[in-house]
Formats: sequence, C-alpha cells, structure tokens
Amino acid sequence: MNAARLWTIARLELLQRVRTVSWYVLLGVFALLLVGVTALAYLAYGGWGQSGPGIYSVVVCVTLLLVLLVSPTLSGNSINGDRDAATLAPVQVTLVTTGEILLGKFIAGWITGLAFAAVAAPFLVIATFAGGVDPLTVVVSLVVLVVETGVVAAIGVALSGLLARPLFSVATTYLVVAALTVGTPLGFGLIGAAVASEGTSITRSYETGPDGAPLCQDGVRFCGDTPDSFVCGEWQTGTYRVPRFDYVWWLLSANPFVILGDATPTRFTEYGYPDDLFGSLKLSVRSAQLPPSLEQRWDDCAPGVHLDSTQPTPREIIDETVPSWFVGLAVQVLLAGLLLWGAWARTRTPARSLPPGTRIA
Amino acid sequence: MTLPGIVVTGVRRSFGHVHAVRDVSLEARAGAVTGLVGPNGSGKTTLMLMLASLLAPDAGTIRIGGVDPLAEPAAARALLGWMPDALGAWPTLTARETLVMTGRLYGLDAEAARAGAARLLDEVGLGTLSDAPARVLSRGQKQRLGLARALVHDPRVLLLDEPASGLDPQARIDLRVLLRRLAAEGRTILISSHILSELEEVVDEAVFLVDGTTVSSERVAAAATRLRTWRIRLADRDATAAALPVAQTLGLDAALVPIDRRDLLVSFASDDDAASALAALVGAGLPVAEFAAATGLLEHTFLDLRGERS
Repeated sequence: MNAARLWTIARLELLQRVRTVSWYVLLGVFALLLVGVTALAYLAYGGWGQSGPGIYSVVVCVTLLLVLLVSPTLSGNSINGDRDAATLAPVQVTLVTTGEILLGKFIAGWITGLAFAAVAAPFLVIATFAGGVDPLTVVVSLVVLVVETGVVAAIGVALSGLLARPLFSVATTYLVVAALTVGTPLGFGLIGAAVASEGTSITRSYETGPDGAPLCQDGVRFCGDTPDSFVCGEWQTGTYRVPRFDYVWWLLSANPFVILGDATPTRFTEYGYPDDLFGSLKLSVRSAQLPPSLEQRWDDCAPGVHLDSTQPTPREIIDETVPSWFVGLAVQVLLAGLLLWGAWARTRTPARSLPPGTRIA
Repeated sequence: MTLPGIVVTGVRRSFGHVHAVRDVSLEARAGAVTGLVGPNGSGKTTLMLMLASLLAPDAGTIRIGGVDPLAEPAAARALLGWMPDALGAWPTLTARETLVMTGRLYGLDAEAARAGAARLLDEVGLGTLSDAPARVLSRGQKQRLGLARALVHDPRVLLLDEPASGLDPQARIDLRVLLRRLAAEGRTILISSHILSELEEVVDEAVFLVDGTTVSSERVAAAATRLRTWRIRLADRDATAAALPVAQTLGLDAALVPIDRRDLLVSFASDDDAASALAALVGAGLPVAEFAAATGLLEHTFLDLRGERS
C-alpha cells in the first residue's frame, strides 16, 4: 500500500465526479428533499415539549435513507464501468496494486456518499436550534451514519469488481442494500409469524339475565357495581397463535436503521417515552426480544385481578434487553470485507481467468 | 550493454475453447523497433496483454528486460510502457491531468510528474491542447495522448498496439521519428500494426503471427523470396504502348503483362533478377521513369504467409 498512489486513484474518481453536472443536480434535489423533511419534522414534533431530538433524528434517518438509495449508483459500477471504458487496464499496468485500486475506489465512493451527509449538515444544525439535542446522540448517530455510508460504498465497489456488467452490479448492490433494509424486517415478520407458539386463553364470564344485566347471587335484583356477587359461568379455555418474534429479533440487527437507533443512547421524556426517532426504533426492536406470555386469563367476575399491573416501562425494556447494533455492524463489515476480497481476487493481474464475457482491455 | 529486451518462449493462452495464442516465441532486441505483424484475430492483442503483465500465459515464459512479469509484475511494470489498441481516456480530465495522474500512479512525485507531463505533451504535439478535456480530443489526438501516457515513466520497453491508427500523415511521420529516437536511446520497442507500409518504414525486424503462432524465420525467408511484383512505367508512352518494348526486352509475352493504370506489373523472383531487368531496360534505351516493388517486403511476406495458410 502506497498512500500517494492510493490517493491518486481516489482523486481520479472524485475529479471525474465533481466535473459532471448530474452530480450537482443530485445534491440539489437532495437538499430540496431535506428542506421539506425538516419543515415537516418541525410540524410533527412541535408542541410536545422539546422538539429538537425528534427533528434531529428524523433528518439523520432521512439522510441515511437517501445515502442508501444513491450510493449503489455511485459506487456500483466503479470497476467494471472502467473496464468497459477501457480506462482500467492503463491503470493496472502502472505500479498501482489491485488492493490500491479497490481501496482507492472505495475511499472515493465513501467520500462521495459523505458529500450527501455534508449537504444534510445545515439541516442538522437547524434541528439543534429547537433545543434539547444530546451531544452524545449527535456524535454516535453521525459516526453510525458515516460507517453505514462506507459499508454501502464498499459493497458497491466490491460487486463492481466481482460482476462483469455495470448494470448488473448496480442492480445487485441495490438488492443487497434492500436485503439489509427491507429484507430484514420482512424476514423478521414472516419467520416470527411462521414459528408461532400456541397460546392459551382462559376466560370466565358472568351469567346475564333477560335484560342483559348480570345475574346476581342470592336473588338480589341489581348488583352491577359489585362483581363479587355475580353469578359466574364456567371457565372456558381457548387457544390462539402467538408469533415468536423473540426467536428472530436478531435478524433485525443487520438493518442499517436498527443499527442507527440501537447504537444511539436514548433519553426519555417526562412521560417515560424515548424523546426521538432513534429511541422509538430502539424500543420497538428491543421489545421484540421479550418472550410473549403464552397464557391469558380473564375473569369477568373478578375484573382487574389478572390484569398485569407490572407492564415494563420503555426504560425498563431498554435496560433489560441486550443491544445488538455491534453484531449487526460486524456482520455488515464482514460481508463488505468478504466481497472486497472476492473482487480483489477477480481483478488481480496478471489475470489467470477472466469473468465470462469480459476482456481485460 | 545490451539488455535482453523482450524474450518470449513457447507462450500459450486460451479463453475457454478459443485458443488465442497457441505457440509464440519471439525476441525483441534492445535498441531496435520490432514489428508484430498478423491478420485480425491472430492473437496480437492477447500477446500484447501478456507482455504488458495484464494476462497470465497458460504456458511458456516471458521476460521483459530479464524480469518475469508473472512472478514480479511490479518490477516488470516499472520497465514497460504499454499503449493499448482500445483508447481509454478519462473523459473529463485534461490531457495534462491525465499524464500527471498516470505519473503519480507510477510513483513519481508531484513535481516530476508535472514536469514530465509538460515535456511529453510537447513531444507528441499536444502542447496546445494540454488543458482540453480528453473527451473533446479527436481520435488521432487521443492516440497521441495514449502514446504519451505509455512514456510517462521513461520505460525501457515499449509495447505499442496499433499506435498509428487514426493519425494524419504528419503525425505518422512524427511518430516514426519519435520511435526511431526512442530506439536509438537503447529502448526495446514492439509495435503491432495492420498498416504494413507504415510498419515497413519504422521497423528493424518483424515477427509474423498467424493463427496464434509465430512463423519460423525459415518460413518467413521462404515467403520473402517468392515471386514479387514490380511496377514499371516508361516516361514517354502510356502503359499499353510500353507493354511491347518492355516485354521484348525482358523476354516476356507482351499479351500476358498485366497493366495497372499507368504501370506495367512484372514479377521477379528476387532482388537480383529485378536489378538485372532494370539494367536490361535501361540498356535497351527505354526511358524508365519508375521501377519499384509494388508491395513492401512486409506486405509481400504477410500476404504470402496468409496465402499459404488458406
């Protein structure tokens, strides 16, 4: 690895990008979108205490979404596109190593993705004007955003080295990103529902008279306000399906948004709920870790007795369950690393075997 | 000191069922321009790619200035400059930036890369277009940029794939002069081209490639000595009128001497035969205005070898 050569490769990519008009159009559209999102977030979170954390988290999530949507196009054809344009081989005959080519293109792709985060920066600052934004939240969420941008760029560059056709590798990069963002909740929902357990419900109701009012013991005419004196029916047992999301919650851990939410420290409002979108995301994902209760009991004759009065609060749920963001992030980094390694083996020169249908120059 | 230049022994390379290069052995001297001649699909570009350290041969050995590009690609790349037949230029970069970037990729420091780029742009005649983006360059100008790019790191060995295609006549002459100078500096130059008359003027030696195999020097020699056609034109009469006196002098049947526009076409087995025929014509008092081989030696050999194959 030679830093000067590595940077030259990255600079080559970046120089060509900043000289295309479409690139600026894309950034402009992105900025316009953020104007809209920030305005709507102000309206949505305004009026409920401090709205800063909410607005801030929405802008970060939308930035992540747009980076995930745009990055595959920017990095997904960097190697096979160069091969098609006959600009790869002239680089390969220089002293640049295959590792430097891959890494340089990856760095360029990463910086390109970060340009979108840079466009989002003013909006993040505006969000903090609303007050109450935790500096730690800012730091952690931005670090996750930066790392996620890098992961997508690495996957795009790697697939462009592994697959011969630019169109195909861009599409495959989109599929991988979609598998992580949409595929994980889909798998979570479907598998969780498929491996459902059988829950039992045990209920008893009171007998009713002809007028629909509860029948009372000892022939009393009216006892609507004293359930103790109802005439009670038989206990009835039924079964129902309980999805076991606690078995598959880990599937969600590779989701970029879940990583973002799960990694960011959560603060709670005065009502005990998370004060931003990250926290809400974290709460719903963590709740899935809790095993569902497989027995429900209801007694009309003694309402309130079986009501679970000890529902855990959001804070308790988050404190009792395990964080998973580092596992998900590790899986993503491992995937990107493996793909890059494969691309390296495929792009290495002198080439022994070529991907079918390609020529080297 | 004579560096080995390029030495190739028994190289073979196939892509699936296509045997692009079957058996190539050649040697290119340092200080000389060696031409690589062969029909389309004869394996020239595949061979060039192997020499350029981009493609590994299935069998055989390659030495670039004594270095095996398979074992030590970096050392071989430092020695060789490669100009591909497919012109790939970064479309939005200027000619100067292209050369500076390439220099940096060869490990030159920023200052050396800039100075080298300026010198090379002048050398290949792109001085006035230094700051034009590559996408506005014409094909010939891109070709010159490609040549400059191959020279960025002052390579000892040059591999040029079709360098003259798209060049105007003046640029071809410039290229010829440049190549002769580079060779005179002791570099090894291997150049492939379809334009045999072009090649003829610049190469010292030629290697013939047919069906992925180098043609042995004996076969080349045999092909070169077969009948070759000369053009003859007399100053004072047209071809039809000239046929009879020329045929009589050379002892041919005038009706069988082909006429091509203003010239008569007469075949001779060797240069000696041609020389004595010229002496006879001049001796007979005929005003010979033109007496020249109709095809270059390379072209003659090439066509002959191809004829043998079919």
